Amino acid sequence: MINIVMAFPGEARPLIDCLGLAGRDTRGPATLYRNETHRLVIAGAGKIRAAAATAWLQETGPDSRHAAWLNIGIAGHASRPVGSGVLAHRITDHGTGKSWYPPQAHGLTMATDNLITVDKPETGYPENALYDMEAAGFYPVACRTTTAELVQCYKVVSDNRDNPVAGVTPKSGAALIVDRLAEITKLLTALDKLRAAVSARRGSANNLAQFTNHCHFTVSQQHQLEKLLARWDALLPEQPPWCDELQAQQQASHVLHWLEQHLNSVPVRLG
Amino acid sequence: MFTHIYIETSVADHPRTQEICARFPQATRVSCERYGEVFNPKSQDFRLQKARPALILASKHGNRVLETPAGYGIGGARNFYFSHMLNCLYDCRYCFLQGMYRSANYVLFVNYESFEEDISRVAQTGNQPAWFFSGYDCDSLALEPISGFAAHFLPFFAAQPNAWLELRTKSTQVRALLNREPLANTVVAFSFTPREMHRSLEHRVPTVEKRLDAMVQLQQAGWLPGVRFDPLIYQQGYQAQYRELFSEIFRRLDADRLHSVSLGPFRLPRGYFKAISRLYPDEPLFAGPLAETAGMLSYRQDLEHELTGFCIEELRYHVPEALLFPCTVAA
Ligand code: SF4
Repeated sequence: MINIVMAFPGEARPLIDCLGLAGRDTRGPATLYRNETHRLVIAGAGKIRAAAATAWLQETGPDSRHAAWLNIGIAGHASRPVGSGVLAHRITDHGTGKSWYPPQAHGLTMATDNLITVDKPETGYPENALYDMEAAGFYPVACRTTTAELVQCYKVVSDNRDNPVAGVTPKSGAALIVDRLAEITKLLTALDKLRAAVSARRGSANNLAQFTNHCHFTVSQQHQLEKLLARWDALLPEQPPWCDELQAQQQASHVLHWLEQHLNSVPVRLG
Repeated sequence: MFTHIYIETSVADHPRTQEICARFPQATRVSCERYGEVFNPKSQDFRLQKARPALILASKHGNRVLETPAGYGIGGARNFYFSHMLNCLYDCRYCFLQGMYRSANYVLFVNYESFEEDISRVAQTGNQPAWFFSGYDCDSLALEPISGFAAHFLPFFAAQPNAWLELRTKSTQVRALLNREPLANTVVAFSFTPREMHRSLEHRVPTVEKRLDAMVQLQQAGWLPGVRFDPLIYQQGYQAQYRELFSEIFRRLDADRLHSVSLGPFRLPRGYFKAISRLYPDEPLFAGPLAETAGMLSYRQDLEHELTGFCIEELRYHVPEALLFPCTVAA
């Protein structure tokens, strides 16, 4: 699952259409669109709304710990040309001075820059950085449940010193997103690969249910069982653990003992 | 090589920072106040970052020279370590750095001169010579073409009569050593595991042959290299694999012109083990016959004794007893 947090409906619409998201859901604090693999929330302007919408997605999501998170929107920049797409490599909350550094993982190939989150639209561009109003709300909340490589902020430059923010309209914002859809799709694919790599490691152990249906395991025995089955997967990947000898063990403690003894006698072959 | 270089603002104008950045004109530079802001956040994934680590240039404030854990050393009475760098170019599956740090980015502390001041002070405070181990939190030489670490510190140690330096490496970056007179108080120690284990566990590490080539060159130039079998790894057929490794190494090296040979079994603190095995749940190394004693994961005692005993016995065929140092702490 990739969770996308955006501020405005006009900017979100091209992506909603591109990803084929449906089911406009207005029951929560923000409007939600979704399909099997993506959820997109329209949070409204400002870091507090972005933080609240992100937290809400975490609470309501199927697997927020195994998800990737992307904040997409438009931003000002002193000198970058209008229409450029940029990932944030540093996000600074202008109000508190706190900074975060989204790791630039393998596969993320676009240009990166500093991003400063301000409370009001920035018209003077004092630093050669991106200026937005959401990222510093979104980022720390999204990082609470997943690893930081899977949390990114992507901005399309909408205004700069030569093209003031006063000229930005919902229509021009939407057009800027349309122009970067190819890059955004590429970014979503790269994030999904990273997400898949992380969640493949977190898969639950083989055939757990087969064991727990066979006899009663206490919570602590179930943890031991999971560890032993994970060892089994690593040492004997080709061989399913369930066998006649195990079936003959009628108590959980005997099952665990049998597994442990068996695993300790397996010759270790690295690689 | 690096797409991003993070630079602490306090070292932005440091000549070493400038020199390193000049080598990577394409890299995006990101400034930060303290390297910990980038390196230390909890929610980072070492394995994902290892696919494309960034470089962080920083200054090391305080705690630059620390005492080694008990049992770590090669015969010296006073043992210390210092880390000009955190993390490593290579990717050994057993490496404890994967469990110690959340980030796989390389931190390079550019204030070498501050390390030197502390080393001098520590060296002069005791009567007995002090050993300084430089490959504790990194490989001492792997990043030499960028860090210039050995090129800088060798002349410094040449002028420290009461100090010994150990450079510990799996690299072949020995040019800085070959370019100068050998030092009597410096040991370049190369670590090895058998070829089969190198293939499955030591990713990006130069082959056994290439490392041996580098060692032979050093011996011929008059250096006294060290050999480290640390960690010793257990797998089916380890006896034949270690026997072959020892024969190959001591066929090529002159055992009389070695400084020391040390060995230590595979061990990891419990917390590190948990973190690493979560990163690599399919790795047979972590699913093998391990047991926990006093917060340390290691091979079951019977196996550890068998493995260590076998290797010590085999090494006795090749090296004088006085050069053999079985370590009780894994590096
Ligand atoms: S060479 Fe040493 S420091 Fe580098 S990854 Fe391997 S064990 Fe770790």
